[in-house]
Amino acid sequence: MRKIVIIFILGLLVTSCEDVIDIDLNTAEPRLVIDASILWIKDTAGSSQIIHLTLTAPYFNDTIPVATGATVTVTDSKNTVFNFIEDGSSGRYFNDTFTPLKNEEYTLNILYKNETYLATETMTSVVPIDYIEQKNDGGFSGEDIEIKAYYTDPENEKNFYLFDFFVVDRETASLEVYDDEFTNGNEIFAFYSNEDLKTGDNLIIRNSGISERTYEFFNILLQQTDEDSGDPFQTQPATVRGNCVNQTNPDNYPLGYFKVSEVDVFTYVVQ
Amino acid sequence: MKPFFYWCICILSFAIIPLNAQSKYTLSGTISEEKSNETLIGVNIIFPEISAGTTTNEYGFYSITVPEGTYKIVISYIGYSTISQTITLTKDITKNFSLIDTLESLDEIIITEKIEKLNIRTPQMSVTKLTSGTIKDIPVVLGESDIIKAITLLPGVTSAGEGASGFNVRGGAADQNLILLDEAIIYNSSHLFGFFSVFNPDAIKDLKLYKGGIPARYGGRVSSVLDIYQKEGNSKEFHVNGGIGIVSSRLLAEGPIKKDKGSFLLGGRSSYAHLFLPLFDVDNKAYFYDLNTKLSYKLNDNNNIYLSGYFGRDVFKIEDTFENTYGNSVINFRWNHLFSNKLFSNLSLIYSDYYYNLRLNFVEFDWVSGIKNLNLKYDFKHYLSNKIKLQYGINSIYYRFNPGEIKPTVESSGINPFKLTDKYAFENAIYLDAEHKVSDKLTFSYGLRISNFIRLGQDELNIYEDDQAVLFNDDFKIYEKAEPIGIAYYKRSNVIESFHNFEPRASLSYQLNAKSSIKMSYNRMAQYIHLLSNTSSPTPLDIWTPSGKFVKPQLLDQYAIGYFKNFNDTTYSLEIESFYKNVENRIDYIDGADLIANNAIEQVILNGKSRAYGLEILLRKNEGRFKGWLAYTLSKSEQQTPGRTANELGINNGYWYNTAFDKTHDISLTSSYQWNDKWKISSNFLFQTGQPATFPNSQYDYNGLNIPNYSDRNSNRLPAYHRLDIALNYTPKPNKHKGWQGEWVFGFYNIYNRRNAASISFAKNETTRVNEATRLSIFGIVPSISYNFKL
Repeated sequence: MRKIVIIFILGLLVTSCEDVIDIDLNTAEPRLVIDASILWIKDTAGSSQIIHLTLTAPYFNDTIPVATGATVTVTDSKNTVFNFIEDGSSGRYFNDTFTPLKNEEYTLNILYKNETYLATETMTSVVPIDYIEQKNDGGFSGEDIEIKAYYTDPENEKNFYLFDFFVVDRETASLEVYDDEFTNGNEIFAFYSNEDLKTGDNLIIRNSGISERTYEFFNILLQQTDEDSGDPFQTQPATVRGNCVNQTNPDNYPLGYFKVSEVDVFTYVVQ
Repeated sequence: MKPFFYWCICILSFAIIPLNAQSKYTLSGTISEEKSNETLIGVNIIFPEISAGTTTNEYGFYSITVPEGTYKIVISYIGYSTISQTITLTKDITKNFSLIDTLESLDEIIITEKIEKLNIRTPQMSVTKLTSGTIKDIPVVLGESDIIKAITLLPGVTSAGEGASGFNVRGGAADQNLILLDEAIIYNSSHLFGFFSVFNPDAIKDLKLYKGGIPARYGGRVSSVLDIYQKEGNSKEFHVNGGIGIVSSRLLAEGPIKKDKGSFLLGGRSSYAHLFLPLFDVDNKAYFYDLNTKLSYKLNDNNNIYLSGYFGRDVFKIEDTFENTYGNSVINFRWNHLFSNKLFSNLSLIYSDYYYNLRLNFVEFDWVSGIKNLNLKYDFKHYLSNKIKLQYGINSIYYRFNPGEIKPTVESSGINPFKLTDKYAFENAIYLDAEHKVSDKLTFSYGLRISNFIRLGQDELNIYEDDQAVLFNDDFKIYEKAEPIGIAYYKRSNVIESFHNFEPRASLSYQLNAKSSIKMSYNRMAQYIHLLSNTSSPTPLDIWTPSGKFVKPQLLDQYAIGYFKNFNDTTYSLEIESFYKNVENRIDYIDGADLIANNAIEQVILNGKSRAYGLEILLRKNEGRFKGWLAYTLSKSEQQTPGRTANELGINNGYWYNTAFDKTHDISLTSSYQWNDKWKISSNFLFQTGQPATFPNSQYDYNGLNIPNYSDRNSNRLPAYHRLDIALNYTPKPNKHKGWQGEWVFGFYNIYNRRNAASISFAKNETTRVNEATRLSIFGIVPSISYNFKL
């Protein structure tokens, strides 16, 4: 809600103008970035999983270096070890024999440059997307296409959702997290509107079940990646620490996150 | 603390005893403006032969007690012709004086008697007084003169930034300023997100800004006091004045209800509804309006009553999708009573309310929040003798905080109605201030405020294990919300938590010679209510919260020392001050804290502290065709939120970090030049070190997103801020003092079109896929024109 207000306020500043400037930034030492999402799409086996390892780069660099040569495993509570094997030196680590289970606790173990990184997360299930509603006179201007993805929140538990609206045609993704504090037990919707959205666009909408901790992480992370970040109304930006811990040298903490979610996928063609 | 109190009493009793030795008489009365009967604040009443003197209080009342005899008295006030006469005191005398505006008294002989200026003598330091005349001379954006913009030109005061409401005093936060309008507390001082202040300059008589050495009669905020008084209204003749500008127009009417006895004042302002229309090609509105009213009635020589009110709203509306309304309303009844010619009293009963509403129809959501309070004040000014003046009183404020109520806008909405728990509190204080002239050269002023804050019972209050509402996750090195282990239910009459504080205040002035003095001051103050805001600037969404189990009262200790000098017959004055202050229990927020619609604010708050120190220089030219001031401030403002245990990181690893309003250098040059009767040119130039900000020190990819990885909080800075504004005033018929009198004001804000950064944001360009730093600048050059009139 705050974000909506912020956009509005900025829109008000009519005499204001934005321009791109050159600015010198300090550069921090590179850190390991763990992009590990175990995704179990509803009605699939969920056996194919991928983990990306990269490093941080100076802010204005064009390329992001990959972290290659790591040993990556995911272990479940029965000590079944799933080895993730790197594809060449791409920083992408694959496993094709993964067996996801509901409410199972998984531990990620990464050995990179003689330092061990650990993270633990539980498979969080999710309700399906029931239906999509489209409005053609929505958004702030009253002229944008507006998509509402309806789902029914379970009443007797706290639930957290990560929605991803992916426009296939332009490869743009928009992420939003939702909790059920004010909507518990109701049929409610995730909201997406973009001025570039047009008839015929293919949308892939993914709803992932996430833990409260993951919700908090994404909540902070997404605030920092808003297009309006740095505006005078936003919350203080900060380094976002995830759930992966460097066991060998805690000060050399990694960035990124290990999440384990059940996912519902809904494809939609904009009318 | 107690020794201090005894010491005060001791000094007082010594001072009082000699009073009986010789017969003394009191001269007292009210001083007002001749044409309107408008009382004047801060008029000097001097007995030059015995170098005694006093000034009128906020209600125009004065009282001075001197030994029997015949004296010359001089009554002077800037902008008015001086009265000089001889008076014989063989009994107590009540005498009212009327002063004549110099503009209208050019033919009369202006007394050029050398009068002793009091300002260097009173121990009050770190205070600036501005009259509405001075404020109107300062050119401002969009041609509207503005109180908040005017005070940010003073040393030690900076604005929160363009397009941001509020102001910062001596490195303090915007919520640490006590803003009083006719003694009523104003919670949000701005319209249109800071483009205008809520104070209609036409309705304002006088304002004082206390930055330090704050007298004991003020309390509840730790940074500054902005004390504003509205006009009473002309009790002799009916007058109208107003102005028409490109952004807003205003109209103010005043006149007698009963000649010389009662008066009314009614002022309104409104901006034009489609001010910011070009935003979208749809039906949207953005405007504000406010209304100032006052009724004054003089019952008899010893009793005056006042009823004043303020009502203001800002409204934003985009089609039917978005509607935002907010504003203050204040109603205030006051009774001035003279118990004797030495004892003046004022009783105030004040209701004030801040309302905030947001309606988002497209997500079927309606939100209301606010704060209401009822404030009772009884203040006494006791003119014991020519050497001692006492001020004492009591104050009681009852608060009701509504942190938010959410309602669905349509029946089918997926939003469940939800009411955040209302909070209640009582704030009480008693105070005593003494101004004590020890010798011709040395004047002391000391006081004590005893404040007490009672957090009253609310419907539900979370209980946490070990009272820890925020937990530190030692694995991930982050702060997390603690899960409540239970809920406590209270009756309204229960006391959840109570605090009390002794707040000593002391200052002294020592006169080095007739023209210069040094002053020193110390003040301790407590602040019991806090504005929740983790943005770098306050927005109207911000929510006030009372101290309680998890949020402790902020406690300030401030020390200041200054040197004051008048030159060339007070044509010039120089003020140099240095200050150090320390605030305990300044709250900060854990990373990513969401403060809106949060029913458990305690889960995202950490208690820390802040400190600020600096040097301020103010050089003024007070008289002549060319007037103005140069202000320079060198300062530092920092905050620290250390971990509560050795394992915890705190914020920024527990190191001191810059507050968002730390501006190392702050220079402002304000000047006006009266070219001739018809033309006047005024300008201001500002230079400030860029505001602290947080920039990324690296980037990474995660989950398909490019993430800027930010460095330590406020460890970077925006580029320096500077601009020049110029205004031209043209009065076609300067000698006309009756009937329609008009004036044109042509203004240019930021005349060299500097693109000052309000913020710099970092994001990947969607098209080029390259990371960019984008500067947002709010005002380029802004020309304006307005027409003001009097009738």
